[in-house]
Formats: sequence, structure tokens, C-alpha cells
Amino acid sequence: MKITSEKISFKDSLTLQSGHVLSGFDLMTETYGELNSDKSNAVLVCHAFSGNHHAAGIKDEEKKPGWWDEIIGDGKTIDTKKFFVVSLNNLGGCHGSSGPTSVAVDSGQPYGASFPEVSVRDWVETQKLLADHFGIDCWEMVAGGSLGGMQALQWAVSYPSRIKKAAIIAASSKISTQNIALNEVAREIIKKDANFHNGDYLAKGESPKKGLKAARMLGHITYLSESNMSKRFGRKLQDPENKMDADVNYEVENYLQYKGEQFAKTFDANSYILMTKAMDSFDPAKGFDNDLVACLQNAQAKLLIASFDSDWLFPKEYGLDIQMSAIKAGINSTYIELEGDYGHDSFLFHSDRYSAALKNFLNSNE
Amino acid sequence: MNNQLQSIVLDWIPNHSKVVDFGCGDGTLLKILAEKKSAIGYGVEIDGEKINACITNGVSVIQQDIDAGIQNYKGMGFDVAIMASSIQCLRRPKNAMKNILKVANECVITLPNFGNWELRLGLLKGKMPSSAQLPAKWYETKNLHLCTIADFEDLCAEESFNIKKKVYLNSRGSSSWLANTFPNLFAAEAVYLIG
Repeated sequence: MKITSEKISFKDSLTLQSGHVLSGFDLMTETYGELNSDKSNAVLVCHAFSGNHHAAGIKDEEKKPGWWDEIIGDGKTIDTKKFFVVSLNNLGGCHGSSGPTSVAVDSGQPYGASFPEVSVRDWVETQKLLADHFGIDCWEMVAGGSLGGMQALQWAVSYPSRIKKAAIIAASSKISTQNIALNEVAREIIKKDANFHNGDYLAKGESPKKGLKAARMLGHITYLSESNMSKRFGRKLQDPENKMDADVNYEVENYLQYKGEQFAKTFDANSYILMTKAMDSFDPAKGFDNDLVACLQNAQAKLLIASFDSDWLFPKEYGLDIQMSAIKAGINSTYIELEGDYGHDSFLFHSDRYSAALKNFLNSNE
Repeated sequence: MNNQLQSIVLDWIPNHSKVVDFGCGDGTLLKILAEKKSAIGYGVEIDGEKINACITNGVSVIQQDIDAGIQNYKGMGFDVAIMASSIQCLRRPKNAMKNILKVANECVITLPNFGNWELRLGLLKGKMPSSAQLPAKWYETKNLHLCTIADFEDLCAEESFNIKKKVYLNSRGSSSWLANTFPNLFAAEAVYLIG
């Protein structure tokens, strides 16, 4: 599989949904496979809230495969022998695209908390500019799970003629009240870290790592299912030789400690806040008198909406709700319920029915 | 669904109809309706493999149990609802019939006739009969409420389900004189337009 990493700079100014204007911006991208001569084999994959451009393969500098490596690759569900797959770090992220950790041109300092609020619609705008950059007129498919699925849905609404298929996986047309509440707890934990300094920690050479770690630990619980956690950890006690922390008793505690710590090393706290805010505010129907049916009426893409039975963060009713609105709107749309062992995170992993459905969808014709 | 049955259904469904097919199988009928009648179609199916076949066929499908799901389709603007060889698989066929008539203005129902002479003969031999329309063994069948043409038409009369059109087909799938003269004995399958 051919992997190309590239940071692409956009010189023109971009007006965000909030009204803020960015004088220019960078997008960190990774592509897999090759674009065919008529540029008709392109697939855009959108990352979930803490993901990045590294979606597949193993890069030399790090041993970790990309977040959707079980799905993207030669001969895999999204077959890179056939399709050219584009992945990017979204605007506001912290893995190479313009975001709170980048240096603002006017001040010469990192943006920090002053990086403007971004929305899912803004991401789709930047992704459209990315499509223009590659000369891609129409994506064969835009796909993603969770917040990534929301981008796929927004694509179908924002640019009906530039997307043939949208795979909206473990997602919803707006997140639940409970979800917003959980996000707020995570933000509060970060902001109350003594090193947060109202978001300007970088200028002070500090980082609210403890807050970020604890926020991630909370988030991580919501990504897994109760049964998966029970199966995996049960009430097993942690081996004393490998304790992350002296106070740790159970394996599950140690696991969360480890995951939280690893995350805090590579993620930026302001990005975390920004991404959760984008998730909270996503509601494509808002511009259509809160009518999702009216919102979907102009969509031309075929939709594939997939929910996982063990996902309690984005329960299947949310997927079915998009489907019912799509039927009312009279657009082409399929809804499937999948068994997944991993709760909300199930969308990340290959399973037979899931992969077959996604593959058949991607390869189906009019 | 055999060709004869397919052409009857195609004939009854107007161009550009919005159609829902409960128990759509691999989506073949909806695909043909889209191609020949420019219909906007949605299938409802519970079987995972059949759903994947629909996706491959480019047919919109919803994974849902029909018994629980029918009433969710009210007010969706459907012109026609189809239920082909599925009514006998439902837990409450009478309720399903009532609901399906609220989903769309008209519905197409196809029914395997348990009164057909071949099946009667099979039963006379003391064994659960099978036929081309009802191939499954008794321990594997999904059918819960098999009925004869006479039974079904009695139900329609009792519940004032208005049968607008009907065609009886013999076991070879053709609309023969015998099947139409003595349907309860010689038809293997019946197809109704109710509305």
C-alpha cells in the first residue's frame, strides 16, 4: 500500500461558521493507494474526536497502526488497491493541522485558547478545499465513525453533488443531552488543572496533563461497553509489579491510568475542548428549522447508517432516527444494526458483517 | 418471486411510486421497480445476509423486525406497501394487515395457499407437506400462520379490507383456468391489491 504523508497549506482566508476569519491554514494529510486518471476512486475518511490523519498502515517513526487500519488497506474493506483514500487531521486538531498548538502569524505565539471555535461544517469546508487541491470532483464515499460519521452526514447535506456515498457509522444527527453533559465534565476536569492557565499553558511552557488524563479516563469508559469491560477485566486485581500508580487495585483502574497517560502525552488540552465543542454543537437540521427531513431533502448521496448494539454513547435509536428522516425525505438510505463487542469503539474494528456491509456499499453501483 | 408474479406486481404499481417492501429479501423486486418504474423503494428485512445482498444490489434497506416495525412507517408518504410471502411469518397477521393499510394507500400481498391440492395430499399422507412455495421442513419453517385462500379472503371480508385486484397462480406460476376457477384447491399462490 502506497502511503503518502503531506502537510498542505491553504493560503486563502477562511471564514468559519462562528464568523472568525483564519488568514490561512494547514491540513496534515495522509493518503493511501493511488488516485486513478479520471480521479473517480477517491474515498475520504473522517476521524472521530481524538483521531488524526494517521488512519492506516504503520509509519516508521511510530509502531502504532492507524486508527482504521483494520478497515483500510490492500484487500481490506476499503481496498487501497482499488480506492485512493484521503485522511486528514481536522482543523483545530493537534497532529499537524492548524490548531491551538500552531503559532499565530500575528502574535508569533501559539494560539492556545485563542484558536477560534470550529464546527463540523467548517471541517467539511476545509475538506472540500482539500478535494479541490487533489482535483477530486466527487468522492466515491465519505466515511467515518462517531464524530467522523457526523462529518460524512454533513458532507451529504453541504455538497450534494460532490459525494456519491456517505457511511455514517456509530453516529447521530446531534448528540444526546447525556453526551453534552459528559463532555462538560471532561472540559471541567481539564480547566481545573492548575497548569491550564485559562488555556495559555503553552506560552508558560506548561501542560495540564493531569486534567487531560482524567478527562480521557472518563471518556474511555463511555467508548466501551459494560459487558466488554466485564469480560476483559472483570474484578481481577492488578499485578503489583506493573502498577501505574500505588493506589491502583484493579486491572481496569490500571488500564484507564495507562490509556489516560498515553493520551495526555500526545493530545493538546485546548484541542480536546475544541473538538468536544464541535461535537456538542453539531446539528445540521438547525439551518432547516430543526427539520432533519428538510435538511436531507437535497442530499443526493446514498447513505449507509450503521449502529452497534453495544454502543450506549450513540445508541442505535439515533441511527434509526436519521434513517427514518431519510425515508421521509425520499433519499436513498440504508440502516443496519451490527453486533459489536466494543461498545461505541466497535466502529474501529473489523467484524464480518460490518466489513461486508461497508464493502458492499462502497462497491455497489447505481 | 417468480416472473409471472413479478410482472403482475410491476403492472399494478404506478410509475414514480414510493414503495416499501416488508420482508424484501435480497431486494430484487425493489431493484426492478426502481429500474422499470422509477420507483423510490425501501426494503425492511431482518436477515443479515439478505440485507447485505440488498446493499450489493444498491437497494435501500432497513434492518428491522416487521412485527415491531410496520407502524413506524406511517406518515412516511408511501404510495404502495408490499408484503410478498411474508404475512404468514408474522406473529399477528391481522394487526399487521391493519397497520400496513395505514402505511400506504394500497398494498400488495402475496400468499402461499395452504389449501392447494398438493399440500392437502401431502397432509393426507400424514406428513407436513411441502411445495415449491413452502419448501421448508416443519422444524425449520419461519411460517407461523399459514392459511388458505378462503381463510385469507374471509379475513378481508370480516375486516373490510377492500380487495381491488387479485390473481391466482398455479404451482408453475401461471394464471391458469383451473387455478382461477377453483383457487382454493388449484392455486399455489395468490396475489392481492388491497386498498
